[in-house]
Amino acid sequence: MVITFLQRMLWMVALVAAQMMVFNYMHLFGYATPLPFIYFLLLFPRGTQRWSILLWGFICGLLCDVVSLTPGIGAASMTLIAFVQPLFLEHMVPKDAVDDLQPGIDTMGFWSYVRYAGLLTFLFSLCYFLVLSFNFFHIVDLGLSFVSSWLLTLLLCLSFEGVRSKRNG
Amino acid sequence: MRALLDFISKYYHWLIFMVLEGFSFVLLFQFNHYHSSVWLTTANRVVGQVDAWEQEFLRYIKLGEVNEQLTRRNLILEQNLDILSARLAALTHDSTATERLQAERLSGITTIPANVVTNSVLRRNNFITIDKGEADGVQPEMGVVCGTGIVGIVYMSSTHYSIVMPLLNSRSRISCRLRGSSFFGYLKWEGSHPLFATLDDIPRHARFKVGDIVETSGFSSVFPRGIFVGKVAKIENSDDGLSYKLRVHLGTDFSCLQQVIVLSQQFQPELRDLEQKADSVASS
Repeated sequence: MVITFLQRMLWMVALVAAQMMVFNYMHLFGYATPLPFIYFLLLFPRGTQRWSILLWGFICGLLCDVVSLTPGIGAASMTLIAFVQPLFLEHMVPKDAVDDLQPGIDTMGFWSYVRYAGLLTFLFSLCYFLVLSFNFFHIVDLGLSFVSSWLLTLLLCLSFEGVRSKRNG
Repeated sequence: MRALLDFISKYYHWLIFMVLEGFSFVLLFQFNHYHSSVWLTTANRVVGQVDAWEQEFLRYIKLGEVNEQLTRRNLILEQNLDILSARLAALTHDSTATERLQAERLSGITTIPANVVTNSVLRRNNFITIDKGEADGVQPEMGVVCGTGIVGIVYMSSTHYSIVMPLLNSRSRISCRLRGSSFFGYLKWEGSHPLFATLDDIPRHARFKVGDIVETSGFSSVFPRGIFVGKVAKIENSDDGLSYKLRVHLGTDFSCLQQVIVLSQQFQPELRDLEQKADSVASS
């Protein structure tokens, strides 16, 4: 349990640090800003207590807000994803899967994982950019930022997952 | 209580979710000026709209009371309007030539304005009740006119009301003449039409035509000379063929009579006494 806690802490710090030092400075074509710290929530296995996911998600988002100077935006988005992650995971794994299934390419298969990660990153990016802009006056720019950031975030999450699966495998 | 605890233990993650989201949005609005201003603007707009709806609802609730006040106020204003309109009409009335002539004829005579209380034109012997009586100086045998001609003679009077025998009464006899000549006769109503009366005893050598004006002759103490009565509408021979019988179109429309004037001549009582004495001497 302690190891799990420390592993999660390590993942969270690493992702937030990467976000702070690298990804916050990326603005591809002026629109795409990756938000790969969402990967932290994709890692939570099936059967995790929901309050636990909610708290981890909130703290991770809050940390990211602190280092990115965007108070509340990351926390709100991550809390929402933490709330829906167990529901999504439950619908995307086979019924006979183990109770503590660790979501990943190696356990779910590539396309199932892409679907799982794609939906969660889509929802996260949508929520993040809606809260960030807080208006619809520049809806085209908002749409471009959201779609490009989502795709870039998904790509990074799949890359992280590829590395992690290969290491585990 | 147990059900509540069961409910909370089953859906506790909803509670945690809402608390954490609430905290996130507090941070968002607390530390981001843009979000804070948008939130305040939107919140103000929403609160303003809700307040407007509330006020509108309250106004709607009070509409019954407002309506009652307006009805009462409207009634008062209508009464005021009626009074002021009557005063304005009296002050700015453009009198016709007949009325002006009437006014000249009535100079030197005390006039007592009165309102018609009851009136009839359909009976053979019609009477008119007016709202002035002895307390106002109205006495029997006084003449009654209106703006368009003569009306009749006061038949009897009480303290505050009087009965007038109008032209439209089979017993009414008023001495009239043709304007511009000295030929006179007696005007009476035959009960056929309320706008027409008959002037009898016009001598056959008199010269006149249809349309000539008929006015009071002044041969009694009731009406002064020259009060407009009507116009000659038709010329006929009398039954005995010795005189003319003129059908007179009356100037007064009795069916819409509302205001009249009672004529009080200064020497009327004296003249009446003298006439009565003369009659009594002649009869003795």
